[in-house]
Amino acid sequence: MLTSIISTGLAMGAIYALIGITYNTMYSTSRVMSFTAGQLGMLGGVFGALFILRFGINSVVGFGLTMMVCAFIGVVTELVAVRPVLKSIEQHLYVLSTLALALMISQVVAIEWSTEPQAFPRFFGTAAALIDEKFWFPVAACAATVIGLEVLYKHTLTGRAFKAVAEDNLAAQALGLPERNLRIASYALAAMIGGLAGFSGGSLLLAFVANGGLLNFYGFVPVALGGLGNNRGAIVGGFGLGLFQQAASFLVGGIFASVAVFSLFIIVLLIAPQGLFGAPQSRRV
Amino acid sequence: MSADGAQAGLEPLSALKVGGANASVVPFLAIFALAAAVPFIGNDYWVLIATRAAVYWVLVSGLTLVIGYAGQLAIGYVALLTLGAYVTSVLAAGNVLPPIPVFAALALAGLVGAVAGVIVGLPALRLRTFYFAMTTLGFATIVTQIALAWQSVTGGGIGLSGPEMPAPFNTTRGFFFFCLAAAAMCTWMSSNIAGSRYGRSLVAIRDADVAAEAVGISKPGLLTKVFIFCGALAGIAGGLFASLQTYITPDAFTFDLSLLFFISILIGGRGSILGPLIGTIVLTLLPEIAAPLAAWSAFLYAAMLLAVVLLIPGGIAALLDFKSRAPLETGRTIAPRLDMLSALAPAVGNQETLSVRDVVLTFGAVRAIDGASLDVASGQIHGLIGPNGSGKTTILNVISGFYAPNSGDVQLGGVPLEAGDPVTRTRHGIARTFQTPRIVGEACVLDNVMLGGTINGRAGFFATLLSLPGSFRDERMFRSQALAALACVGLDGLADVRADRLQHSELRFVEIARALMSRPKLLLLDEPAAGLSVHEIVHLGQLVKAIAANGAAVLLVEHHADLIFGICAHVTVLNLGRVLAEGTPDQIRVNKEVVSAYLGG
Amino acid sequence: MKLTRRDFAKGAATAAGLSALPLARPAFAQTEPLRIGWLAALTGPSSAPAIGFDRGVKFATDAINAAGGVKGRKIEIVTRDTQGDPTKAVNATQELISQAKVHAIWGPTNSGESLATTPIMARAKMPNIHPCVIDTLIDPQKFPNAFRITPSNSQWDDAVRTYAVKVLKAKKVAVLADTTGYGVAAVKASVAGLQKDGAEVVYQANIDATQPDLTPDMLRAKTAGAEVIIVWSTSTGLNARMFNTRAAMGWDVPFVGHPSMSAGDIPKLLEKPGNWDKVYAVGYRSCSFDANGKLPARTQELVDKLKGKVDLSDTLMWWVAGGIDAVNLIAKAVGDSSSSSDDIIKIWNSLSNYPGYFGDITFSATEHNGYPVNDVVMSAANTAKDGMFRLAPGY
Repeated sequence: MLTSIISTGLAMGAIYALIGITYNTMYSTSRVMSFTAGQLGMLGGVFGALFILRFGINSVVGFGLTMMVCAFIGVVTELVAVRPVLKSIEQHLYVLSTLALALMISQVVAIEWSTEPQAFPRFFGTAAALIDEKFWFPVAACAATVIGLEVLYKHTLTGRAFKAVAEDNLAAQALGLPERNLRIASYALAAMIGGLAGFSGGSLLLAFVANGGLLNFYGFVPVALGGLGNNRGAIVGGFGLGLFQQAASFLVGGIFASVAVFSLFIIVLLIAPQGLFGAPQSRRV
Repeated sequence: MSADGAQAGLEPLSALKVGGANASVVPFLAIFALAAAVPFIGNDYWVLIATRAAVYWVLVSGLTLVIGYAGQLAIGYVALLTLGAYVTSVLAAGNVLPPIPVFAALALAGLVGAVAGVIVGLPALRLRTFYFAMTTLGFATIVTQIALAWQSVTGGGIGLSGPEMPAPFNTTRGFFFFCLAAAAMCTWMSSNIAGSRYGRSLVAIRDADVAAEAVGISKPGLLTKVFIFCGALAGIAGGLFASLQTYITPDAFTFDLSLLFFISILIGGRGSILGPLIGTIVLTLLPEIAAPLAAWSAFLYAAMLLAVVLLIPGGIAALLDFKSRAPLETGRTIAPRLDMLSALAPAVGNQETLSVRDVVLTFGAVRAIDGASLDVASGQIHGLIGPNGSGKTTILNVISGFYAPNSGDVQLGGVPLEAGDPVTRTRHGIARTFQTPRIVGEACVLDNVMLGGTINGRAGFFATLLSLPGSFRDERMFRSQALAALACVGLDGLADVRADRLQHSELRFVEIARALMSRPKLLLLDEPAAGLSVHEIVHLGQLVKAIAANGAAVLLVEHHADLIFGICAHVTVLNLGRVLAEGTPDQIRVNKEVVSAYLGG
Repeated sequence: MKLTRRDFAKGAATAAGLSALPLARPAFAQTEPLRIGWLAALTGPSSAPAIGFDRGVKFATDAINAAGGVKGRKIEIVTRDTQGDPTKAVNATQELISQAKVHAIWGPTNSGESLATTPIMARAKMPNIHPCVIDTLIDPQKFPNAFRITPSNSQWDDAVRTYAVKVLKAKKVAVLADTTGYGVAAVKASVAGLQKDGAEVVYQANIDATQPDLTPDMLRAKTAGAEVIIVWSTSTGLNARMFNTRAAMGWDVPFVGHPSMSAGDIPKLLEKPGNWDKVYAVGYRSCSFDANGKLPARTQELVDKLKGKVDLSDTLMWWVAGGIDAVNLIAKAVGDSSSSSDDIIKIWNSLSNYPGYFGDITFSATEHNGYPVNDVVMSAANTAKDGMFRLAPGY
């Protein structure tokens, strides 16, 4: 039982954490939380299955194609649902525009793909491994993402430009940073992280349209708990949520496990609206 | 109309407005008359669809106050519909208690809905928009899960029969007319709220929350009232829905329904009752006339939502707002009528002095105010100047309660002001304007000004809901005062114009008019001359002088040296959060330190 | 080509047991087509059954119309896609009744919808046949117009329970289902039945169909000592995950239960084909191969007719057969009397051993469950061929 809590809990936690990072990466350059984050996780699974199983493409190439499609959808999100409403961000229209886009994505998948879960290919082959890839692949993907982002932010010019835009948008613009292009790039990056979450978790979650809504919520919980824009918080929150949820599944069972997660979410938020590691809200006047 | 005409000589604008209100009733009457005719021109199928639209509208008419007016994006409101449906059905069927009459069950569903409305809405008081949207979604899931799991009461997955209405409402037509009457009633109540100080306050919370606090609107108190009302309507709508469905199971309450509700409101237009009504009708009808597209209906809803958000953020209401498309007169001038100020003077004998003592405020390591003190006497204009970042606006924010100082105190007439609590300031007789005008762009100028008097209203939420006489008195008072205030600042010609169509300089005068509404003892002006023409600055100077002459204390933060030295009796110069110098304009003008630090001599 | 098709269709209609010859009874109304409302969840979740039924409906309609219709009246199917949403089903039902003025309604295809539409059809006295399993949907007193040509839930339940307790000789049973309305209701009924029969229900749970890992519930069932797991879920993803989890745990407990455990998209979701062994799903004698791989004669005849016309590879035979029977039953009632509601219901009430492809249907004024109980059998889930299965061991 403990093995199962830990293996599945960590794997699911890694997926949630990656979706949390997707939310954060989009947020950092645009101050927008997008409902498409969870959908990208779903698409990572669906496109992976489409390319590799249905089209029979080599799995490494299939992975690359999945990432490219996800990045494209990230760019579309920025162009269609984010940029037009940025000028009036205080009206929170992005909640609606990204929700609309997320619903459209999920409807198209439901109709053109399937409403039932579909098989997802094994990425590393069927060779009997010590631990099944469905448990370690998401964790490895999460670790790779964290390291990759660290390198990007600390050691590349683009990454530092990202940070500058994230910290002070106007100042970055004044410095002559290509703020718009950086925003598009961050959406593409975020979308690939979301797609990676779905792809690495494919054998666990399957290629299933309902994963979109599921990941939207459960990927948001670590963001809310860990503090908006705080990737470290999202990772701690993600793994915590995965383990908590799996433990709750064992202890109280299906329906009540989701009630338990939701209750925890609401209670923590009402006590600490900025999350456990979040910065206080900026000045208004 | 004739009665209004009689008043026209006295208050031309007010008569125009009342005439406008009458005109705005016409579309509602037309819609409801058309709806009432459905059973006589269509078959039972169309009656069913019309009933459905009426039931949805009962919910949406309340929700539009939450989403459209207050801007709280509650996207999972089907939770309350579900709750109302189950409460009514369970009570009427007698699964828990002995069966009770349907109407009593409906009333109890309203009550339960009201309580649940507050619970679902509560996070809105503390959480950001997106967080709130997420929590409402979560509630929608939880309610369905509970309905499934609590089998002994709800019938679990098998569900239970909806309540059966007593005669004469147990026929298709009878039930339709019952729902239509309920819908008309809800339209009336929501319109009463929307057109009152409560409606204006909700929109202010949405579009200018800082200004709302400054005029004394308490967001938690107001939202709680609206959540109660909206929750009650949703609960009752749920009961009617259950009766319409004849049988309810958890899978009847899909997210698509939530979607229908809030998209109706957004397509209809924020800050409108008519728009969402049309939106609800359109979205209820759409899947029926576009049956071949059934599979894509959710996609279409989403596409419509995106299109509305991107292309016509104002929704149907904005499309129907022909008035705001007529060009405004160009070359307008602002001509204050100082003689009318006496009507808005503070209570006679205002002798209260503002005193700020040794205030310190730090942001992290930065000492934004470092032990500043100043006094402003009634009837006096006190100038506050200093280089950028010297802490002028910050002091204003401490006085008006937006910041709590780390130490020091602020008193008005010897009464200490609550630190960090802006909502209390209007009650102390303090009003202010902002560096960037905080105006509700989608409301007309008159509504913006009326907002300033909000706390002087006497009619409570309930009285307003039912349009009791007190609410009429309030509205008449607000209107006449606001027209007077607009006349004072010289903008009475623009009372009915949408505020976002005004020029920047005009908005500054609108803010002053709004501040005058509360008859302030102390008026705080934050760079009122910024962006004004020379001519307008002269008018501004005269206006401020007249306001002070009427007995108010005025604290004026300004960069415009001519204005400061022209009208202030006393000037304080700030630098790096400290008082560098103070005295009469003549003293300041020759003060060496000031000249070197600030005037750049 | 055209001729052969017509001949074929005529044959089909005759085989279906109806008088395909137009009778000479000229009347104005008879030129009017016979309109059958068809409430089908053709899209959205759990749309697979309706898609299968729909193939049968189209096949039967074409056959009858090609043979000249019913007493010279063509059959017109008025299809409404309800997407499994009770609200849409209610609207569509009222539309079929008041606007399209259909003569009878077939469907809806899932219980959540049917619960909401049944009272509405009863109020309009609309003759209705549906394939929904929830018991309370059939009540000749309350709903004299509603008939069921499929087994009820309790008939399914009987077959499953009997197989688990009598054939597999299980004393301790676990019952698992999804969290849909159907799943929750089915667990309750199943547990009650098992307890009445003296079996011990050691574990019961409703599991969210999106839950990625089923080890918690499976482990609890195993720890409790379950010898058989009874499954009531329409979610193929959930079913496949159960089979995979069972294999991963190295457990060989048999699964017995809902027909969707034998659905065609399960194999793709399995980690190993062998994970599908020892899974027994509800099936029907009419749509089962016997030990020698033979089908009942009537079914074999239908399979031959359907060949090349209706794709059976990705659906279940009983859905197609059910769709054909539904249309034929309505056509027969109208053919034997008239298209008035009362007449259709009267004919159905006197129907005895009507030879449908799906089964021999018998109704009476007091019994509107028409499917023969003994024809509900268990089949081995991994033996599908043309949407039909081999009987489970023990028959």
